[in-house]
Amino acid sequence: MHCKELESVLEAEGLGQLSKDARLHLATCGDCQAYVADLNCIVSAAKTLPAEVNPPDRIWISLRAQLEAEGLIKEPVEVSEGYSWLETLGGWLKPRALATVTVAALVLVSAVYIKRLPQTSPVGVANNQPAVASSGPAKPQVISAAPASPAPALNAHPQIQAPVKTKELAPSPSESASFALSQAELDVPNMQLAGNSQVDASLRQNLRTLNAFIAECELHLKQNPQDELAREYLNTAYQQKADLLAAMMESGRGDN
Amino acid sequence: MCASSVIPGTTLGATRRIRTTSGAATGQLARQRPAQPVAWTEAEAIRLAQAGNAAAFEFLYQLHGRRVYALCLRMVGNPADAEDLMQEAFLQLFRKIGTFRGESAFSTWLHRMTVNVVLMRLRKKSLPTDSLEETLEPDAENSAPKRDVGAPDLRLSGAVDRVNLERSIEQLPPGYRTVFVLHDVQGYEHNEIANIMGCSVGNSKSQLHKARTRLRELLQEEIRQQAREERKAAKSPTGSLD
Repeated sequence: MHCKELESVLEAEGLGQLSKDARLHLATCGDCQAYVADLNCIVSAAKTLPAEVNPPDRIWISLRAQLEAEGLIKEPVEVSEGYSWLETLGGWLKPRALATVTVAALVLVSAVYIKRLPQTSPVGVANNQPAVASSGPAKPQVISAAPASPAPALNAHPQIQAPVKTKELAPSPSESASFALSQAELDVPNMQLAGNSQVDASLRQNLRTLNAFIAECELHLKQNPQDELAREYLNTAYQQKADLLAAMMESGRGDN
Repeated sequence: MCASSVIPGTTLGATRRIRTTSGAATGQLARQRPAQPVAWTEAEAIRLAQAGNAAAFEFLYQLHGRRVYALCLRMVGNPADAEDLMQEAFLQLFRKIGTFRGESAFSTWLHRMTVNVVLMRLRKKSLPTDSLEETLEPDAENSAPKRDVGAPDLRLSGAVDRVNLERSIEQLPPGYRTVFVLHDVQGYEHNEIANIMGCSVGNSKSQLHKARTRLRELLQEEIRQQAREERKAAKSPTGSLD
Protein backbone atom coordinates (compact mmCIF):
# COMPACT_ATOMS: atom_id res chain seq x y z
CA MET A 1 0.00 0.00 0.00
CA HIS A 2 1.21 3.53 -0.82
CA CYS A 3 0.63 6.78 1.05
CA LYS A 4 -2.07 7.86 -1.41
CA GLU A 5 -3.92 4.62 -0.92
CA LEU A 6 -3.78 5.06 2.84
CA GLU A 7 -5.24 8.53 2.34
CA SER A 8 -8.15 7.01 0.41
CA VAL A 9 -8.74 4.44 3.14
CA LEU A 10 -8.79 7.14 5.80
CA GLU A 11 -11.23 9.20 3.73
CA ALA A 12 -13.61 6.29 3.25
CA GLU A 13 -13.36 4.63 6.68
CA GLY A 14 -12.12 7.25 9.10
CA LEU A 15 -9.62 6.75 11.90
CA GLY A 16 -11.30 3.70 13.33
CA GLN A 17 -10.12 0.16 12.79
CA LEU A 18 -7.77 0.13 9.81
CA SER A 19 -7.24 -2.83 7.51
CA LYS A 20 -4.21 -5.06 7.79
CA ASP A 21 -2.56 -3.49 4.72
CA ALA A 22 -3.07 0.01 6.13
CA ARG A 23 -1.55 -0.99 9.45
CA LEU A 24 1.42 -2.58 7.71
CA HIS A 25 2.04 0.63 5.74
CA LEU A 26 1.76 2.75 8.89
CA ALA A 27 4.33 0.56 10.60
CA THR A 28 6.87 1.39 7.89
CA CYS A 29 6.02 5.01 6.91
CA GLY A 30 7.01 7.76 9.34
CA ASP A 31 5.18 10.51 7.47
CA CYS A 32 1.90 8.63 7.49
CA GLN A 33 2.41 7.83 11.17
CA ALA A 34 2.79 11.53 11.89
CA TYR A 35 -0.23 12.31 9.72
CA VAL A 36 -2.50 9.85 11.48
CA ALA A 37 -1.16 10.93 14.89
CA ASP A 38 -1.99 14.58 14.09
CA LEU A 39 -5.49 13.70 12.98
CA ASN A 40 -6.05 11.75 16.19
CA CYS A 41 -4.74 14.71 18.15
CA ILE A 42 -7.27 16.99 16.44
CA VAL A 43 -10.12 14.57 17.17
CA SER A 44 -9.10 14.34 20.84
CA ALA A 45 -8.91 18.13 21.14
CA ALA A 46 -12.32 18.48 19.48
CA LYS A 47 -13.86 16.21 22.11
CA THR A 48 -12.80 18.68 24.80
CA LEU A 49 -14.80 21.46 23.18
CA PRO A 50 -18.23 21.88 24.82
CA ALA A 51 -20.97 20.32 22.73
CA GLU A 52 -23.49 22.63 24.37
CA VAL A 53 -23.33 26.33 25.18
CA ASN A 54 -25.92 28.16 27.28
CA PRO A 55 -27.69 30.77 25.20
CA PRO A 56 -28.63 34.14 26.75
CA ASP A 57 -32.07 34.27 28.37
CA ARG A 58 -33.15 37.09 26.09
CA ILE A 59 -33.35 34.65 23.17
CA TRP A 60 -36.24 32.73 24.73
CA ILE A 61 -37.95 35.94 25.86
CA SER A 62 -37.78 37.34 22.36
CA LEU A 63 -38.77 34.02 20.81
CA ARG A 64 -41.78 33.63 23.06
CA ALA A 65 -42.96 37.15 22.27
CA GLN A 66 -42.70 36.35 18.57
CA LEU A 67 -44.64 33.10 19.02
CA GLU A 68 -47.41 34.95 20.84
CA ALA A 69 -47.50 37.67 18.21
CA GLU A 70 -47.91 35.06 15.50
CA GLY A 71 -50.64 33.28 17.45
CA LEU A 72 -48.68 30.04 17.72
CA ILE A 73 -49.17 29.98 21.49
CA LYS A 74 -52.76 29.24 22.49
CA GLU A 75 -53.38 29.90 26.19
CA PRO A 76 -56.19 27.93 27.93
CA VAL A 77 -59.47 29.80 28.71
CA GLU A 78 -59.56 31.10 32.30
CA VAL A 79 -62.48 30.31 34.58
CA SER A 80 -64.31 33.28 36.11
CA GLU A 81 -64.51 33.50 39.92
CA GLY A 82 -68.28 33.65 40.29
CA TYR A 83 -69.25 30.34 38.76
CA SER A 84 -65.96 28.54 39.21
CA TRP A 85 -67.39 25.55 41.06
CA LEU A 86 -70.30 25.16 38.71
CA GLU A 87 -68.21 25.54 35.60
CA THR A 88 -65.61 23.18 37.02
CA LEU A 89 -68.17 20.46 37.41
CA GLY A 90 -69.83 21.46 34.17
CA GLY A 91 -66.52 20.95 32.49
CA TRP A 92 -66.34 17.55 34.10
CA LEU A 93 -69.75 16.62 32.94
CA LYS A 94 -69.65 17.88 29.37
CA PRO A 95 -67.03 15.62 27.88
CA ARG A 96 -68.45 12.47 29.41
CA ALA A 97 -69.00 10.18 26.54
CA LEU A 98 -71.91 8.43 28.20
CA ALA A 99 -73.91 11.65 28.40
CA THR A 100 -75.13 11.05 24.85
CA VAL A 101 -77.44 8.28 26.04
CA THR A 102 -78.85 10.01 29.15
CA VAL A 103 -82.38 10.15 27.80
CA ALA A 104 -82.52 6.40 27.37
CA ALA A 105 -80.97 5.85 30.78
CA LEU A 106 -83.46 8.21 32.41
CA VAL A 107 -86.33 6.33 30.85
CA LEU A 108 -84.90 3.09 32.20
CA VAL A 109 -84.48 4.47 35.69
CA SER A 110 -87.93 6.02 35.64
CA ALA A 111 -89.37 2.63 34.74
CA VAL A 112 -87.50 1.11 37.67
CA TYR A 113 -88.87 3.84 39.90
CA ILE A 114 -92.44 3.36 38.78
CA LYS A 115 -92.15 -0.39 39.16
CA ARG A 116 -90.81 -0.15 42.70
CA LEU A 117 -93.19 2.58 43.81
CA PRO A 118 -95.98 1.10 46.01
CA GLN A 119 -99.50 2.61 46.32
CA THR A 120 -99.00 5.87 48.15
CA SER A 121 -101.16 8.36 50.06
CA PRO A 122 -100.77 12.07 49.46
CA VAL A 123 -98.97 12.50 52.75
CA GLY A 124 -95.39 11.46 53.19
CA VAL A 125 -94.25 10.86 49.63
CA ALA A 126 -91.86 13.80 49.45
CA ASN A 127 -90.34 12.94 52.78
CA ASN A 128 -89.78 9.36 51.76
CA GLN A 129 -92.00 8.16 54.57
CA PRO A 130 -93.68 4.80 54.45
CA ALA A 131 -96.97 5.25 52.64
CA VAL A 132 -100.19 4.29 54.26
CA ALA A 133 -102.88 2.71 52.19
CA SER A 134 -106.25 4.26 52.32
CA SER A 135 -108.70 2.24 54.28
CA GLY A 136 -111.55 3.42 52.27
CA PRO A 137 -113.95 6.21 52.91
CA ALA A 138 -113.65 7.56 56.38
CA LYS A 139 -116.43 6.51 58.75
CA PRO A 140 -117.96 9.02 60.92
CA GLN A 141 -116.50 9.35 64.35
CA VAL A 142 -113.49 7.20 63.33
CA ILE A 143 -110.06 8.51 63.13
CA SER A 144 -108.55 6.85 60.11
CA ALA A 145 -105.27 8.64 59.75
CA ALA A 146 -101.90 6.80 60.00
CA PRO A 147 -99.59 7.43 62.92
CA ALA A 148 -97.51 9.76 60.75
CA SER A 149 -100.51 11.83 59.90
CA PRO A 150 -99.77 15.36 60.88
CA ALA A 151 -103.31 16.20 62.13
CA PRO A 152 -105.32 13.13 63.04
CA ALA A 153 -107.97 15.15 64.85
CA LEU A 154 -108.95 16.83 61.65
CA ASN A 155 -110.01 13.54 60.12
CA ALA A 156 -112.50 12.77 62.86
CA HIS A 157 -115.35 14.52 61.13
CA PRO A 158 -116.15 13.33 57.64
CA GLN A 159 -116.78 16.82 56.48
CA ILE A 160 -113.45 18.02 57.59
CA GLN A 161 -110.41 16.76 55.89
CA ALA A 162 -106.82 17.72 56.25
CA PRO A 163 -105.70 20.15 53.61
CA VAL A 164 -104.11 18.37 50.71
CA LYS A 165 -100.48 19.18 50.31
CA THR A 166 -100.30 19.60 46.60
CA LYS A 167 -96.54 19.68 46.70
CA GLU A 168 -96.44 16.22 48.13
CA LEU A 169 -99.11 14.96 45.77
CA ALA A 170 -97.07 16.00 42.73
CA PRO A 171 -93.32 15.90 43.46
CA SER A 172 -91.13 18.08 41.24
CA PRO A 173 -89.25 16.44 38.37
CA SER A 174 -85.98 16.88 40.26
CA GLU A 175 -87.31 15.21 43.36
CA SER A 176 -88.75 12.36 41.31
CA ALA A 177 -85.48 11.84 39.55
CA SER A 178 -83.57 12.01 42.80
CA PHE A 179 -85.79 9.41 44.42
CA ALA A 180 -85.72 7.18 41.36
CA LEU A 181 -81.99 7.29 41.20
CA SER A 182 -81.70 6.58 44.91
CA GLN A 183 -83.87 3.52 44.49
CA ALA A 184 -81.82 2.30 41.58
CA GLU A 185 -78.67 2.85 43.56
CA LEU A 186 -79.87 0.56 46.34
CA ASP A 187 -78.72 -2.49 44.40
CA VAL A 188 -75.28 -1.12 43.58
CA PRO A 189 -73.39 -1.95 46.80
CA ASN A 190 -74.10 -5.63 46.42
CA MET A 191 -73.26 -5.88 42.75
CA GLN A 192 -69.97 -6.96 41.31
CA LEU A 193 -69.78 -4.41 38.53
CA ALA A 194 -66.92 -5.75 36.51
CA GLY A 195 -64.38 -8.57 36.55
CA ASN A 196 -61.52 -6.15 37.18
CA SER A 197 -61.71 -4.89 40.77
CA GLN A 198 -59.89 -1.70 39.83
CA VAL A 199 -62.61 -0.88 37.30
CA ASP A 200 -65.20 -1.72 39.93
CA ALA A 201 -63.56 0.65 42.41
CA SER A 202 -63.26 3.34 39.76
CA LEU A 203 -66.97 3.13 38.91
CA ARG A 204 -67.95 3.35 42.55
CA GLN A 205 -65.62 6.29 43.06
CA ASN A 206 -67.23 8.05 40.13
CA LEU A 207 -70.64 7.43 41.68
CA ARG A 208 -69.52 8.82 45.03
CA THR A 209 -68.13 11.90 43.33
CA LEU A 210 -71.37 12.40 41.44
CA ASN A 211 -73.47 11.96 44.60
CA ALA A 212 -71.38 14.55 46.38
CA PHE A 213 -71.93 16.98 43.53
CA ILE A 214 -75.67 16.32 43.50
CA ALA A 215 -75.90 16.90 47.27
CA GLU A 216 -74.01 20.15 46.90
CA CYS A 217 -76.27 21.31 44.06
CA GLU A 218 -79.41 20.42 46.01
CA LEU A 219 -78.18 22.31 49.05
CA HIS A 220 -77.32 25.30 46.87
CA LEU A 221 -80.77 25.23 45.28
CA LYS A 222 -82.48 25.13 48.66
CA GLN A 223 -80.64 28.32 49.56
CA ASN A 224 -80.99 29.86 46.11
CA PRO A 225 -84.11 28.42 44.51
CA GLN A 226 -83.99 31.00 41.71
CA ASP A 227 -80.55 29.92 40.48
CA GLU A 228 -81.44 28.48 37.10
CA LEU A 229 -77.84 27.66 36.25
CA ALA A 230 -77.52 25.48 39.34
CA ARG A 231 -80.81 23.82 38.49
CA GLU A 232 -79.59 23.07 35.00
CA TYR A 233 -76.39 21.56 36.36
CA LEU A 234 -78.39 19.48 38.85
CA ASN A 235 -80.61 18.10 36.12
CA THR A 236 -77.55 17.30 34.07
CA ALA A 237 -76.03 15.56 37.07
CA TYR A 238 -79.16 13.45 37.48
CA GLN A 239 -78.88 12.45 33.87
CA GLN A 240 -75.24 11.61 34.31
CA LYS A 241 -76.01 9.51 37.37
CA ALA A 242 -78.76 7.68 35.52
CA ASP A 243 -76.34 7.01 32.73
CA LEU A 244 -73.65 5.82 35.12
CA LEU A 245 -76.03 3.52 37.00
CA ALA A 246 -77.27 2.06 33.75
CA ALA A 247 -73.71 1.46 32.64
CA MET A 248 -72.81 -0.08 36.01
CA MET A 249 -75.80 -2.41 35.90
CA GLU A 250 -75.02 -3.39 32.34
CA SER A 251 -71.42 -4.02 33.23
CA GLY A 252 -72.42 -6.13 36.21
CA ARG A 253 -74.80 -8.24 34.16
CA GLY A 254 -72.26 -8.71 31.44
CA ASP A 255 -69.46 -9.79 33.68
CA ASN A 256 -71.41 -12.00 36.07
CA MET B 1 -27.71 10.45 19.02
CA CYS B 2 -30.64 10.31 21.39
CA ALA B 3 -32.45 13.32 22.79
CA SER B 4 -32.78 13.05 26.50
CA SER B 5 -35.61 14.65 28.37
CA VAL B 6 -33.34 15.31 31.34
CA ILE B 7 -32.33 18.93 31.13
CA PRO B 8 -29.05 19.83 32.78
CA GLY B 9 -28.62 23.36 34.00
CA THR B 10 -32.07 24.65 33.17
CA THR B 11 -33.54 27.87 34.40
CA LEU B 12 -35.15 25.77 37.09
CA GLY B 13 -31.72 25.39 38.54
CA ALA B 14 -31.11 21.69 38.76
CA THR B 15 -30.43 18.63 36.66
CA ARG B 16 -33.90 17.22 36.54
CA ARG B 17 -36.89 16.77 34.26
CA ILE B 18 -38.87 19.86 33.50
CA ARG B 19 -42.13 19.57 35.37
CA THR B 20 -45.35 21.33 34.64
CA THR B 21 -48.90 21.04 35.87
CA SER B 22 -51.06 18.89 33.67
CA GLY B 23 -54.47 20.47 33.07
CA ALA B 24 -56.19 23.30 34.87
CA ALA B 25 -58.80 22.77 37.58
CA THR B 26 -61.47 23.20 34.94
CA GLY B 27 -62.12 19.96 33.14
CA GLN B 28 -59.47 18.17 35.14
CA LEU B 29 -61.75 15.44 36.47
CA ALA B 30 -63.31 14.99 33.07
CA ARG B 31 -59.96 14.16 31.52
CA GLN B 32 -59.05 12.03 34.57
CA ARG B 33 -55.52 13.51 34.70
CA PRO B 34 -53.61 13.92 37.91
CA ALA B 35 -53.38 17.34 39.46
CA GLN B 36 -49.74 16.93 40.48
CA PRO B 37 -46.91 18.03 38.12
CA VAL B 38 -45.78 15.51 35.48
CA ALA B 39 -42.47 15.03 33.69
CA TRP B 40 -42.88 15.21 29.93
CA THR B 41 -41.20 13.08 27.35
CA GLU B 42 -40.12 14.74 24.14
CA ALA B 43 -43.00 13.12 22.26
CA GLU B 44 -45.55 14.49 24.75
CA ALA B 45 -44.03 17.96 24.53
CA ILE B 46 -44.16 17.87 20.74
CA ARG B 47 -47.82 16.88 20.81
CA LEU B 48 -48.63 19.66 23.26
CA ALA B 49 -46.60 22.19 21.31
CA GLN B 50 -48.55 21.26 18.19
CA ALA B 51 -51.65 22.27 20.17
CA GLY B 52 -50.10 25.62 21.07
CA ASN B 53 -49.02 24.92 24.65
CA ALA B 54 -46.51 27.58 25.72
CA ALA B 55 -44.82 25.40 28.33
CA ALA B 56 -44.31 22.69 25.74
CA PHE B 57 -42.54 25.16 23.44
CA GLU B 58 -40.25 26.14 26.27
CA PHE B 59 -39.61 22.50 27.13
CA LEU B 60 -38.41 21.80 23.59
CA TYR B 61 -36.35 24.98 23.56
CA GLN B 62 -34.63 24.01 26.82
CA LEU B 63 -34.11 20.46 25.57
CA HIS B 64 -32.32 21.39 22.35
CA GLY B 65 -31.35 25.04 22.69
CA ARG B 66 -27.84 24.59 24.03
CA ARG B 67 -26.72 22.30 21.21
CA VAL B 68 -28.30 24.53 18.60
CA TYR B 69 -26.64 27.60 20.06
CA ALA B 70 -23.26 25.84 20.20
CA LEU B 71 -23.59 24.88 16.53
CA CYS B 72 -24.59 28.40 15.49
CA LEU B 73 -21.76 29.91 17.52
CA ARG B 74 -19.13 27.69 15.93
CA MET B 75 -20.52 28.24 12.48
CA VAL B 76 -20.53 32.03 12.56
CA GLY B 77 -17.93 32.76 15.21
CA ASN B 78 -19.67 35.59 17.04
CA PRO B 79 -22.43 35.58 19.69
CA ALA B 80 -24.60 38.29 18.12
CA ASP B 81 -25.05 36.44 14.84
CA ALA B 82 -25.37 33.13 16.67
CA GLU B 83 -28.28 34.49 18.75
CA ASP B 84 -30.09 35.74 15.66
CA LEU B 85 -29.59 32.46 13.87
CA MET B 86 -30.72 30.41 16.84
CA GLN B 87 -33.89 32.45 17.22
CA GLU B 88 -34.59 32.16 13.51
CA ALA B 89 -34.04 28.40 13.57
CA PHE B 90 -36.44 27.88 16.49
CA LEU B 91 -38.99 30.21 14.99
CA GLN B 92 -39.00 28.16 11.79
CA LEU B 93 -39.22 25.00 13.85
CA PHE B 94 -42.23 26.14 15.89
CA ARG B 95 -44.01 27.49 12.82
CA LYS B 96 -43.68 24.11 11.15
CA ILE B 97 -44.07 21.88 14.19
CA GLY B 98 -47.58 20.99 13.12
CA THR B 99 -46.12 19.19 10.11
CA PHE B 100 -43.75 17.02 12.15
CA ARG B 101 -44.82 13.40 11.77
CA GLY B 102 -41.99 11.64 13.58
CA GLU B 103 -40.48 10.12 10.44
CA SER B 104 -37.07 11.32 11.59
CA ALA B 105 -35.76 12.19 15.03
CA PHE B 106 -36.90 15.60 16.22
CA SER B 107 -33.33 16.69 16.95
CA THR B 108 -32.29 15.72 13.41
CA TRP B 109 -35.15 17.79 12.01
CA LEU B 110 -34.19 20.75 14.18
CA HIS B 111 -30.51 20.55 13.29
CA ARG B 112 -31.36 20.34 9.61
CA MET B 113 -33.29 23.57 9.90
CA THR B 114 -30.46 25.15 11.87
CA VAL B 115 -27.82 24.18 9.32
CA ASN B 116 -29.97 25.51 6.49
CA VAL B 117 -30.58 28.79 8.31
CA VAL B 118 -26.87 29.20 9.02
CA LEU B 119 -25.71 28.37 5.51
CA MET B 120 -28.31 30.67 3.97
CA ARG B 121 -27.03 33.48 6.17
CA LEU B 122 -23.42 32.76 5.22
CA ARG B 123 -24.30 32.76 1.53
CA LYS B 124 -26.12 36.05 1.85
CA LYS B 125 -23.08 37.57 3.47
CA SER B 126 -21.03 36.34 0.49
CA LEU B 127 -18.17 35.22 2.64
CA PRO B 128 -15.22 33.82 0.65
CA THR B 129 -16.18 30.25 1.38
CA ASP B 130 -17.12 27.18 -0.59
CA SER B 131 -20.79 26.52 -1.15
CA LEU B 132 -22.33 23.53 0.51
CA GLU B 133 -23.01 21.85 -2.82
CA GLU B 134 -19.40 22.31 -3.87
CA THR B 135 -18.02 20.88 -0.69
CA LEU B 136 -20.34 17.91 -0.89
CA GLU B 137 -19.22 16.94 -4.38
CA PRO B 138 -16.95 13.89 -4.25
CA ASP B 139 -14.44 15.64 -6.47
CA ALA B 140 -11.26 15.35 -4.46
CA GLU B 141 -9.08 16.99 -7.10
CA ASN B 142 -10.47 20.48 -6.78
CA SER B 143 -11.69 20.85 -3.24
CA ALA B 144 -9.65 18.53 -1.07
CA PRO B 145 -6.75 19.88 0.92
CA LYS B 146 -3.49 18.51 -0.38
CA ARG B 147 -1.13 16.52 1.74
CA ASP B 148 2.41 16.58 0.51
CA VAL B 149 3.43 13.02 0.73
CA GLY B 150 6.98 12.69 1.90
CA ALA B 151 7.33 16.28 3.14
CA PRO B 152 8.26 16.72 6.81
CA ASP B 153 5.20 17.82 8.76
CA LEU B 154 5.08 19.83 11.91
CA ARG B 155 3.87 17.54 14.67
CA LEU B 156 0.75 18.72 16.43
CA SER B 157 1.05 16.47 19.41
CA GLY B 158 1.00 18.63 22.53
CA ALA B 159 0.55 21.81 20.51
CA VAL B 160 -3.19 21.78 19.93
CA ASP B 161 -5.26 23.59 22.50
CA ARG B 162 -8.87 24.70 22.54
CA VAL B 163 -8.11 28.28 21.61
CA ASN B 164 -6.16 27.64 18.43
CA LEU B 165 -8.45 24.76 17.49
CA GLU B 166 -11.54 27.02 17.74
CA ARG B 167 -9.73 29.69 15.75
CA SER B 168 -8.86 27.15 13.07
CA ILE B 169 -12.41 25.78 12.95
CA GLU B 170 -13.65 29.28 12.14
CA GLN B 171 -11.44 29.30 9.09
CA LEU B 172 -12.84 26.10 7.63
CA PRO B 173 -15.25 26.29 4.68
CA PRO B 174 -18.87 26.08 5.89
CA GLY B 175 -19.46 22.56 4.60
CA TYR B 176 -16.31 21.17 6.23
CA ARG B 177 -17.01 23.15 9.37
CA THR B 178 -20.56 21.85 9.70
CA VAL B 179 -19.59 18.21 9.36
CA PHE B 180 -16.62 18.56 11.72
CA VAL B 181 -18.65 20.30 14.44
CA LEU B 182 -21.54 17.86 14.15
CA HIS B 183 -19.30 14.77 14.25
CA ASP B 184 -16.21 15.50 16.29
CA VAL B 185 -17.61 18.16 18.65
CA GLN B 186 -21.27 17.27 19.08
CA GLY B 187 -20.96 13.53 18.52
CA TYR B 188 -23.47 12.89 15.74
CA GLU B 189 -23.00 9.74 13.68
CA HIS B 190 -22.54 9.84 9.93
CA ASN B 191 -26.04 8.56 9.20
CA GLU B 192 -27.48 11.39 11.31
CA ILE B 193 -25.23 13.94 9.63
CA ALA B 194 -26.32 12.62 6.25
CA ASN B 195 -29.96 13.26 7.25
CA ILE B 196 -29.15 16.71 8.55
CA MET B 197 -27.06 17.75 5.54
CA GLY B 198 -29.09 15.98 2.90
CA CYS B 199 -26.13 14.00 1.63
CA SER B 200 -24.94 10.40 1.62
CA VAL B 201 -23.03 8.70 4.44
CA GLY B 202 -20.03 8.38 2.13
CA ASN B 203 -20.06 12.11 1.50
CA SER B 204 -20.25 12.81 5.20
CA LYS B 205 -17.18 10.64 5.85
CA SER B 206 -15.29 12.22 2.99
CA GLN B 207 -16.07 15.76 4.12
CA LEU B 208 -15.06 14.93 7.69
CA HIS B 209 -11.67 13.59 6.58
CA LYS B 210 -11.08 16.65 4.43
CA ALA B 211 -12.09 18.90 7.33
CA ARG B 212 -9.60 17.20 9.64
CA THR B 213 -6.82 17.39 7.04
CA ARG B 214 -7.52 21.09 6.45
CA LEU B 215 -7.53 21.72 10.20
CA ARG B 216 -4.15 20.05 10.41
CA GLU B 217 -2.78 22.47 7.84
CA LEU B 218 -4.33 25.46 9.61
CA LEU B 219 -2.99 24.37 12.98
CA GLN B 220 0.48 23.76 11.57
CA GLU B 221 0.41 27.24 10.08
CA GLU B 222 -0.80 28.61 13.40
CA ILE B 223 2.09 26.95 15.21
CA ARG B 224 4.60 28.21 12.63
CA GLN B 225 3.20 31.71 12.97
CA GLN B 226 3.52 31.57 16.75
CA ALA B 227 7.09 30.31 16.41
CA ARG B 228 7.91 33.19 14.02
CA GLU B 229 6.46 35.72 16.41
CA GLU B 230 8.41 34.27 19.30
CA ARG B 231 11.64 34.46 17.29
CA LYS B 232 10.82 38.01 16.27
CA ALA B 233 10.18 38.98 19.85
CA ALA B 234 13.46 37.40 20.88
CA LYS B 235 15.42 39.39 18.25
CA SER B 236 13.82 42.75 19.10
CA PRO B 237 16.05 45.57 20.52
CA THR B 238 14.63 45.01 24.00
CA GLY B 239 15.34 41.36 23.81
CA SER B 240 18.48 41.36 21.77
CA LEU B 241 20.65 38.38 21.98
CA ASP B 242 23.81 40.47 21.91
